[in-house]
Order: sequence, then C-alpha cells, then structure tokens
Amino acid sequence: MSLLFKGRAQGAEAIKIGVLQLLIMFFTDHLRQAVNSLGELWRSPFASLMTIGVLGFSITLPSTLYVLVKNTEQISQQWEQASEISLFLRTGVTDASAQQLLTRLRLWPEVAEVAYISPAEGLKEFQVLSGLGDALNYLETNPLPGVVLVVPTVKHSSPTSAGMLLNKLRKEREVEIGKLDIEWLERLYALIGIAKDLVTLLAVLLFFAVVLIIGNTIRLNILSKRDEIVVMKLVGATDAFIQRPFLYTGFWYGFLGGIMAWVTVLLILLWVDYSMQGFMEKYQVSFNLTAMDLSTLIVMLLVSVSLGIAGSLLSVQRHVKDIEPR
Amino acid sequence: MIKFEQVSKTYPGGQQALRKVDFHVEKGEMAFLTGHSGAGKSTLLKLISIMERPTVGRVLVNGHNLSSIKRREIAYIRRDIGMIFQSHQLLMDKTVFDNVSLPLVIEGHTRKNIAKRVDAALEMVGLRDKAKNIPITLSGGEQQRVGIARAVVNRPPLLLADEPTGNLDPKLSMEIIRLFEDFNQAGVSVFIATHDLGLIARMKYRTLTLKNGQMITDGLNEQPNQGLYV
Repeated sequence: MSLLFKGRAQGAEAIKIGVLQLLIMFFTDHLRQAVNSLGELWRSPFASLMTIGVLGFSITLPSTLYVLVKNTEQISQQWEQASEISLFLRTGVTDASAQQLLTRLRLWPEVAEVAYISPAEGLKEFQVLSGLGDALNYLETNPLPGVVLVVPTVKHSSPTSAGMLLNKLRKEREVEIGKLDIEWLERLYALIGIAKDLVTLLAVLLFFAVVLIIGNTIRLNILSKRDEIVVMKLVGATDAFIQRPFLYTGFWYGFLGGIMAWVTVLLILLWVDYSMQGFMEKYQVSFNLTAMDLSTLIVMLLVSVSLGIAGSLLSVQRHVKDIEPR
Repeated sequence: MIKFEQVSKTYPGGQQALRKVDFHVEKGEMAFLTGHSGAGKSTLLKLISIMERPTVGRVLVNGHNLSSIKRREIAYIRRDIGMIFQSHQLLMDKTVFDNVSLPLVIEGHTRKNIAKRVDAALEMVGLRDKAKNIPITLSGGEQQRVGIARAVVNRPPLLLADEPTGNLDPKLSMEIIRLFEDFNQAGVSVFIATHDLGLIARMKYRTLTLKNGQMITDGLNEQPNQGLYV
C-alpha cells in the first residue's frame, strides 16, 4: 500500500494475484532465501564450519552427559527390582551350619532364592576380580566370612518390605551383619540427582555462550554487507526483509550444528558402549547402553535450531536497524 | 508534489545546512536544484527521502506531512520515490538485472512480472543487452543508466536525482537529462539536484538555487516553459 499516493498500488496488489498464488509465492520466496543463505555458508566453508563446530560441540557435551545419566538411572531401576540382601556370617560358622541356615530360610514365604558363598569361594572370586592374584596366597588364614545371598520375592522386594525382611534376618544367630543393596542405591540416586543438576547448569551456560557466538558471527556478517543493506534500504526494503537472510543463516548454523551434534554423540556412545562391555563382562552383568531415541534426537535438533535463530535474532534486531543510508 | 514550509536543518554540532527554505514543486513538474557544493542540496533531498528529518518546518509530499511518517513506514515511502545517486549505489557483485529488479523483489512481485518490467526499464535506458553484465564492467554513463532503470522500474510518481551527471561528460549528461525529460513527459514529477550550471543553462526548466542553506532564487531559467506550469 502506498502511504503517499492514494490509489497507487505497490507490490502484489498491482498485479492482482489470487490468495493461493500469493501463498505459493510466499513459500517459494522463503525457500529461495533459505537456499541462498545456505549457498552463502557454502561459499566460505572454513568460517562456517568453525561456527557450526562451536554449536555442535556445545550441544554434544550436555547431550552425551544427559544420555549417560539417563542410562545410569535405568540401570539402578533394574537393580532396585531385584534388591538383594547380603548376610555376612559370623566367623566360626561352618559350611554345614550355613547349609542348615539356608534350608531354614528357603521355607520363609518372603524369600525367593538363597545362595551360599563359602569363604573359600569368596576368596577365589576376590582373587579374580581384585587383580591381587597370587598375593592373596600369602595370607595365612582366609579373612573372608561366608556370605548368604537372599533374594526376596517380588512382593517383598520394595525398599520398605525388604528392609523389614532384613531386620528379621539379622536376628538369625549365624548372621553377623546384614546388608540391603538398596542403601547404596539410595546414595546413587542422590548422586544422579546432583549429576542431573550439573548437566542442566552446564547446558544452560553452554547455550548462552552459543547464542552469543552466533550473534557475533551474524553481526560480522551484517557489517560485511553494510553497503548492500544501505542500497536495499534506499530502494524501500523493510528491516524485516533485510533481516530474513540473516535469520536463515542462523537457522542453518543451528540445523547443521544439530546434525553435527547427533553424529558426535552417536560416536561417543558407541565408544562408551564398547569400553563398557569389557567392564561389564568382569562383573558378569550384561547391559546394553540405550542410545538416543528419536524424540531425544528431535529435541536436540530443535534446541540447536532455536539457539541458532535466537543468536541471529539478537544480532539482526540491533544491527540492521543501525545501518541507515547517510 | 514536493512542498517545503519554512524548513531549517541543523546538524548535531551546530552546522546549519538549511535555513527557512520555502518552495513548492508541482505535480508533473520537472525542476532543478542548484548551488555550490555545501549549499545544502543533498540535505534538501535527504529530507524528502527521510534520510534526515527537518529541525524546524514541514516537508510535504503529495500533501502528506512527512513528520507524521514513523520509522517503520519509511521503507514504504521510498517505494514511491525513485532515487538516483551520483555514486550510483549499485550492488557491484550482482548482475544488472538483479540490480534493477531489487525494488520489485522487495515489493514481492511475481517472477514473470519482474522479468517483464525489468526488461522494459532496461529498454528505456538502452541497456537491454547488458542485463547479465555486472556493473563493474560497465562505463560510468552506463552505470548511471542502470541506476535510473532501477529508480523507474516500479513506476514511482516522483523521481529524485542527486548529481546524476556528476562524473559524466557533457554529451552523456545531456543523454541522461533527455531520459528524465521522457519520464517527465509520461507524467512523473522530476527533481534534480546538480551543480552543473552549464547543463541547466541549456534548458528552460524551473531552477531553485541554494546558497549557504538559503533559497536565493526560485524561478524559471530564462523564459517560462509552457505546459509545465499547470
């Protein structure tokens, strides 16, 4: 619409096109600008890669930590269900009386399974796992007590009822100490809680840094196109029109940075998974690292794209306005 | 078309560029603005295209007071005013076609329409065969004509030119002025700032003269030009 000349049509009104065509034009225009911005990044690949790298790595770090914390949580959930009670027997309890204890315990309704690890077996296992090896042979006597492992039934495996069972078991005369695995689980939970907070804090700080870095990159971009912007303003371009390509540049930084973060996180997880398999084998536990699911990947990409656009928006709103023809 | 009412402009720092300037260029008129460099010609043009705002007084274009135009609306005002600069203000890394089509792209015309209009504008300035060249490969006169094609491609009712013949020899200058006459004949109001007094002397158009920011003459050069004062 012309402000000064009534009846003088500007732009699309001048040629009387339909709403549909206007809509198609809107999208093709945006698509063209998006592709142009991508082309611009392509023309200076080194500088673009550096910016994309900053974004990618900044998102990789919290994402990887997030996945690890999530996995730890899953492991602990698995273990909580099969909470196991370890009974350390008094020294002097023979294998025979231990077997008697086992027979008694098997009759308890709360108990699903019992297993006995004799001091000799315990020492053998300790030798393998601790890596102390032959050094243990020099011990005169076996310092390890016999251990009875009690697995409560599903009904009694919740932390409170398992605790009650533990108290009952402690009263048995052969038992010196009873320990519920849940205690360290609770500690682990607390630790995971702290880890989660730290990941969040780290993520927020990194995201701020990314927004500022993208903002600064776009600022330099804008300043290097100063002459072009002046010309566009002289022939009647609105700020919004001039801003658009820069916003698309921000979008592409975010998008490509997000893709880069995907690849990096997946590689890191593969590596961690590999090194964890060896570790897990020693403990006779099989555990598969849950990789990223689709929703996490989408969230990562969305976060990355929003950071790119936010950084560019921050810059564009200030600096495009400042450039005026003189 | 362009009306100045007691307009003064003082730049920050106290330099007074215009003092109580009063004039009125009618619709469909072609007029020259002249004066030595530093007399305030550029400032006066900048007040019309809202690159500067007056300190005192009112500037009206087609009866609309420009002081009521908000910052956001300036872009739309400039779409109504075709501007031509001594320094051409072309995008040196884009083709002639891209340069001339810029105002239409900004206004959101269809590709087909843009091609048609750019073609017509380049035809008018005689550069139809140079559409794919980049401005840097063109001569000064040709670059100026690209600038003119860009200024008229969206058919504005008003053309402003700031030293359009600045770096050109008299023959090329005359060609440029002839172009402006063609547009004026088609009903466009044309306002040209120039210090090329020799050029003006050869024509019979209304000439406004600025000296130290004051309008010292506002009248026709030699004799009246019939048909322009309606």
